[in-house]
Amino acid sequence: MLDLLAYDFMQRSLLAAAMVGGLCSVIGVFVVLRGLAFVGAGTSHAAFAGVALGYLMGWPPLFLAILFGLATVWITGWVEERGRMKLDVSIGILYTTTMALGILFIGLMKTYNAEVYGYLFGSVLSVTPEELRIIGAMSVLVLSLLLLFAKELYFIAFDQEMAEASGVPARQMFFLLLTLVALTVVVSLKTVGAILVFAMILIPASTAYQLTHSLTTLTLYSALIGIITSVCGVLISAVWDIPSGPAIVLLATAMFFTAVLFSPKRAKRARLIHAH
Amino acid sequence: MSAEETRESHSNGRNPIIRFDHASFGFPGLIALKDISLPIYDGEFVGVIGPNGSGKTTLCRAVLGLLPPVEGHLHIFDCACSELRCHHRAQIGYLPQKGVVDRNFPVTVLETVMMGRYGALGLLKRPGKKDRQIAMEALAQVGMETHKDTALGHLSGGQQQRVFIARALAQQPKVLILDEPTTGLDITMQHNVIELVQHLHDELKLTVLLITHDINMIRSRVDRLVLLKTKLFAAGPPAEVLKPEILHQVYGKELVITENDLVIVEDYHHHH
Repeated sequence: MLDLLAYDFMQRSLLAAAMVGGLCSVIGVFVVLRGLAFVGAGTSHAAFAGVALGYLMGWPPLFLAILFGLATVWITGWVEERGRMKLDVSIGILYTTTMALGILFIGLMKTYNAEVYGYLFGSVLSVTPEELRIIGAMSVLVLSLLLLFAKELYFIAFDQEMAEASGVPARQMFFLLLTLVALTVVVSLKTVGAILVFAMILIPASTAYQLTHSLTTLTLYSALIGIITSVCGVLISAVWDIPSGPAIVLLATAMFFTAVLFSPKRAKRARLIHAH
Repeated sequence: MSAEETRESHSNGRNPIIRFDHASFGFPGLIALKDISLPIYDGEFVGVIGPNGSGKTTLCRAVLGLLPPVEGHLHIFDCACSELRCHHRAQIGYLPQKGVVDRNFPVTVLETVMMGRYGALGLLKRPGKKDRQIAMEALAQVGMETHKDTALGHLSGGQQQRVFIARALAQQPKVLILDEPTTGLDITMQHNVIELVQHLHDELKLTVLLITHDINMIRSRVDRLVLLKTKLFAAGPPAEVLKPEILHQVYGKELVITENDLVIVEDYHHHH
């Protein structure tokens, strides 16, 4: 395994996995707490449609992915604010529409394009130095914005109306969160793929949720779990020659169920029920 | 009683901190509160009562500046609703109705109360020692300082209510709005929470707006009662508002006032 680490591509993919894992799991805390899980899933499919359109027309795929992702989250946020439609209905429609567009764009391509499928299923082992730089820059951008507005974002995740009532610009913060979710999804597309990126956002935060009652500890645990599972997943994928996306996600899922089984919250609840 | 009389009899020369002026709230075609004219004065303890769906929570959201009037005017701290900025909102502490907030949210008691500081602090500023001290004082005021590191979800309903009141106090507000703070609590807890609110009103000279169904619990404590049913039916000292003819109009025939001034639901079977 050590000689594997000597390869440039291996170093690049481990670095990419660590950054994506850390980024996804930190934004995941806010997504899980604010109840935006389905929004993220929809965004990743929209972003994929953008990638497919990019390859079809010969335009930069990542740029279109960002455009599609942002359009989806902003429409979703706007619909939720208006209260016209239930959030799961509006995102369900956008989710399937963008997926249909993605499939349509692939169908319109004259030739089979393996790179497009890389975005669908993830191929961290083929990350180029340029992609690594983009991932690095976007991670720094998203994480610094999260850090700068952490207190407001925690508050709107807890209760948006209460936050607004007590003088936090809650609506702006909600749209900031949606924007950061979209950017995170796009950055992670190449590494874990459109189908699995949402697992990386959801699972580490949900695992950490089982283990603590404090917001700061929750965020730290989530980031640790995200980075560890991503890096280990890539190593497993390289050593056993299996696809990296599923390796990362299945490892994270295993950790999640372990955490559920040994959750101190669960133990406490069981004791409480027993006591009554 | 008209709004003009209310103003004269209770102003004592003070300026209203909140002023409704023929204000209506809701959506065009679906008005939740119609033509409200009501001043609320600095340091008053006001109870808001009325049947379900009478617009109590709408009134509350309006005072929080979350719901601008569709007609008429609402002035909060001498600002029209649309001029209300974040630093104004920070001066109004709010306890939402139970069930609105996820009480199993992974947050400790102190973290919850610290959120009360966020609006007042403003963007990009990190809470410091002073904010922590204010939060601890707020916890002490509600008698929960020993629980500062406890998970919110591990507390009883009454204790959680105290923590949420402390969160509102951490804003160092001028006005405290409580939306049915006793719902879902047992009778001693209900009493404790109302006692606490009264204590905060007396001690911190807070203007308190308390929304409740429990007329008997608050009638002896509040300065004024506001009786709503889509419009303002009455506003004034409890003795003036809790009159049989007014209550019958709002609640129907079921409410009666007993000899010792308790408002009770008339036993239907007793009379038939």
